[in-house]
Amino acid sequence: MNNNTNPLARKDTTAIVRAGLQRRYAAEKRFKWYGLTAISIALLAVVLLFADILIKGLPTFWQTDIRLEIDFAPQIIDPDGRRNPDDLSLADYSALWKKSLRQLFPEVESREELRSLYALISSGSSLQLRDRVMANPALIGVTQNVDLLADDTVDTFFKGGVDRELPEAQRPLKDDQIAWLDKLKAEGKMETRFNTGFFTNGDSREAEQAGIGGALVGSIFTLLITLSLSFPIGVAAAIYLEEFAPYNRWTDIIEVNINNLAAVPSIVFGLLGLAVFINFMHLPRSAPLVGGLVLALMNLPIMIIASRAALKSVPPSIREAALGMGASKLQMVAHHVLPLAMPGMLTGSILAMAHALGESAPLLMIGMIAFIVDIPTSPFKPATVLPVQIYLWSTLPERAFVQRTSAAIILLLLFLAVMNATAIILRKRLERRW
Amino acid sequence: MAISKDEHIVKRYDQDLTHLRNLVLEMGGLVEDQVNRAMDALDEEDIAEAREVIARDQLINGLEVKADEASISLVALRQPLASDLRLVMSLYKAVTDLERIGDEAERIARMVVHIYDTAVSPPSNKLFRDVLAMAELAKAMLHGALDALARVDADKAIAVAQSDHDLDNQFQDGMRRLITYMMEDPRLIGHAIDVIFMLRSLERIGDHAKNIAEYVIYLVKGKDIRHTALPEPSEQTLQTG
Amino acid sequence: MNTTATTINSATHQGTLIVAQAEAPLKTGPRVIDYNDRRTVGDITVPDPKMVCRDVNVYYGENHAIKTVSIDIGNRQVTSLIGPSGCGKSTFLRCLNRMNDTIPGCRVTGEITIDKENIYDKNLDVVQLRARVGMVFQKPNPFPKSIFENIAYGPHIHGLAANKRELGELVETCLIKAGLWEEVKDRLEEAGTGLSGGQQQRLCIARAISVNPEVILMDEPCSALDPIATARIEELMDELRENYAIVIVTHSMQQAARVSQRTAYFHLGDLIEVGDTEQIFTNPQHRLTEDYITGRFG
Repeated sequence: MNNNTNPLARKDTTAIVRAGLQRRYAAEKRFKWYGLTAISIALLAVVLLFADILIKGLPTFWQTDIRLEIDFAPQIIDPDGRRNPDDLSLADYSALWKKSLRQLFPEVESREELRSLYALISSGSSLQLRDRVMANPALIGVTQNVDLLADDTVDTFFKGGVDRELPEAQRPLKDDQIAWLDKLKAEGKMETRFNTGFFTNGDSREAEQAGIGGALVGSIFTLLITLSLSFPIGVAAAIYLEEFAPYNRWTDIIEVNINNLAAVPSIVFGLLGLAVFINFMHLPRSAPLVGGLVLALMNLPIMIIASRAALKSVPPSIREAALGMGASKLQMVAHHVLPLAMPGMLTGSILAMAHALGESAPLLMIGMIAFIVDIPTSPFKPATVLPVQIYLWSTLPERAFVQRTSAAIILLLLFLAVMNATAIILRKRLERRW
Repeated sequence: MAISKDEHIVKRYDQDLTHLRNLVLEMGGLVEDQVNRAMDALDEEDIAEAREVIARDQLINGLEVKADEASISLVALRQPLASDLRLVMSLYKAVTDLERIGDEAERIARMVVHIYDTAVSPPSNKLFRDVLAMAELAKAMLHGALDALARVDADKAIAVAQSDHDLDNQFQDGMRRLITYMMEDPRLIGHAIDVIFMLRSLERIGDHAKNIAEYVIYLVKGKDIRHTALPEPSEQTLQTG
Repeated sequence: MNTTATTINSATHQGTLIVAQAEAPLKTGPRVIDYNDRRTVGDITVPDPKMVCRDVNVYYGENHAIKTVSIDIGNRQVTSLIGPSGCGKSTFLRCLNRMNDTIPGCRVTGEITIDKENIYDKNLDVVQLRARVGMVFQKPNPFPKSIFENIAYGPHIHGLAANKRELGELVETCLIKAGLWEEVKDRLEEAGTGLSGGQQQRLCIARAISVNPEVILMDEPCSALDPIATARIEELMDELRENYAIVIVTHSMQQAARVSQRTAYFHLGDLIEVGDTEQIFTNPQHRLTEDYITGRFG
């Protein structure tokens, strides 16, 4: 050791180090800038995306109504006066609001003009009036102010979406229609209110009537089924694999396959669902039940991997302590390991559910893309889900549908944010640092 | 795992042990020299030599302090175990015995000064016959003990321990003879008492040499053989742990 | 003549002697000097043994971790297992309550008995064995539950306490025995993991004795603790020795010397030497033991 001279002893190491410092600091600074630039670009992209979606989507949450004085004339609604609900539902309610409109604008006479006058009001107004009467037959014979849905072009116009300066041919609203609307507005017959219909209505061909309600309920049903299947099965599988299964070739193969399954494109699960659940087991097409099953299959590998990671993160010393006290393996898992792994498992499952919520490809395969007006009342009824609804609307040309697409995206993002927040809160709550 | 027997992993530990060993052995050499010189002084009636022996006892005392410090710091800092522990403890105890031997040498030297540095005529040589004979054996024992300690040689140590018996016998003989002389000629009593002190010192030197030899046996065999019947310490009895 | 006391090899007087000193190798060797002789030295038996191990072999797959080890574990005394890392002392300790069962690919042959019952017998339940042979681990590992629940867990799963009051008394007794009662009696509902390291380890000892075991195994119980906490545990072990057979694995030879009455030295899976602690630490009989104890492994 004594004669083993250090080769560095001959050099002035301090000077060498100092000479290299400049370069090192420069490299460090550069790296910092790369990172900042990357993050800035990403942030900018996110901000742009959100701004675009918000600007497009937010107006959807308000809806323009036109207030008309409706005379619920008995001779139109119930000519024979028997108040028979069947008769009432079959009556021509459009006559009511058309009449009211004609009274407001007596100067309009030609068929052509009348058609464009009637176009101001949503075709769904007749249904609106019918529902009103059906709910309260006493209305018959009464004259009442009713807020009727404006047509989506009118709605768009009032939200500033139509440029008056454009030549008439390029505008969705004609000059005379704009004149009528201005008059209505001057008389205070037009007003904007919060669009509750957007949340409660099902899909519709008419943009002003189209709502996200059906897709929302469909998503909820689908997710409930996914959760109730994939969570218990995933956790149980993870516990078995992690705590009980022997280490051998078979468990190795299973593990590799689970990892591979997690990477399988989701559309493949859709094909599987189509083949197995619909063609073979004859479960109802387009139903949240099948969607839930497919998503549960898709989620299982993710769930198992997340749960196993949570179990692995429980320190082995706790297992040893429990076994050393004479606990059986099941007691060890149930009393000590599972409670400690649960926050991780819940977080993992919520994130997997968020993933499932945003999934559309496999659901297309099992027919959840159908145009469904009715809000599903059970998981067996046909339904669609939020992302599919977004996709459906995005293909439609009307400006109001573009807005609705963005609004639905906002809603979807909101749901995802809520789920992720729940995951974080749950983890914070349950992860008691002893 | 590479196994090397003779060195500790901590090299400093080896250095400390070697330092202690060398201190004690240096002290041993010095002590042996003191005894030899004291006896030479007596033999040659050399008062100057005797005075030097007396003066040099300080050196031994200084070495004792150093060796004690080295032992204590070894125990405190290295916590020696097994053979290391036995080595340190043996050396620590040997130091005490060496210091006592040094004191005995000094005592003999003082006696030489006391006897020859006066107007009174020196005692007749017949009184010293036993002293010189015993001195040879005591010196041999001391040399043997130190040699055994230096070479960590149990066989030699056993031989030294066994010869203590002879020294004791010589001491008894010498005492008997001196008493006879004193009874024959009471004028000899004064000198005879001085000689008795010398005999006593030589006997003590032998005892201390025997102690050192016993420490060596303990060091090698890990067995304390003091205060046990010594005569035949066969290999077999010593080895059964 | 003017030798300064500091010069070591001044060959002025009795030079021959001093030269001899510097060269002389230490021949203070133990009885067995062959490094390759791996037969156990010393008396493996004790009067009134609690556990008896004969020809125990442990394999981890192809790896022969413990090679034909035989030793008795004495009642009411501390037996310490020492040896370099990877010598198999922890593995052997874990054989005594079959904790090795949890390690995949681990195979144990030979015979280990507790009170003449073979613990690897098919009829002997491992859960019951672990209630009889408790264990304290290297890292304090209290359950992430309250102090009370930590102690109450063992009695609870084995159904030892008839009612709440009895359980409370049991918890108190265990904490008192572990010397922890005074420190935690006002905060039994607080987390066991909130205690200091030494307190946690005493909590683990209290937990181990809560099921009234006959043997307590300790796997380096003080390696994560400061000297004061270590001293407390050692004092506790000395008290527990009155009622239990204790086996401790330790890397600190000083600790083995302080707490144990018998010491066993393991080397690469072989039990090299076993004997009274005092004898092992002053006069080991095998050269491997000697080299390990004196710090001579290279």
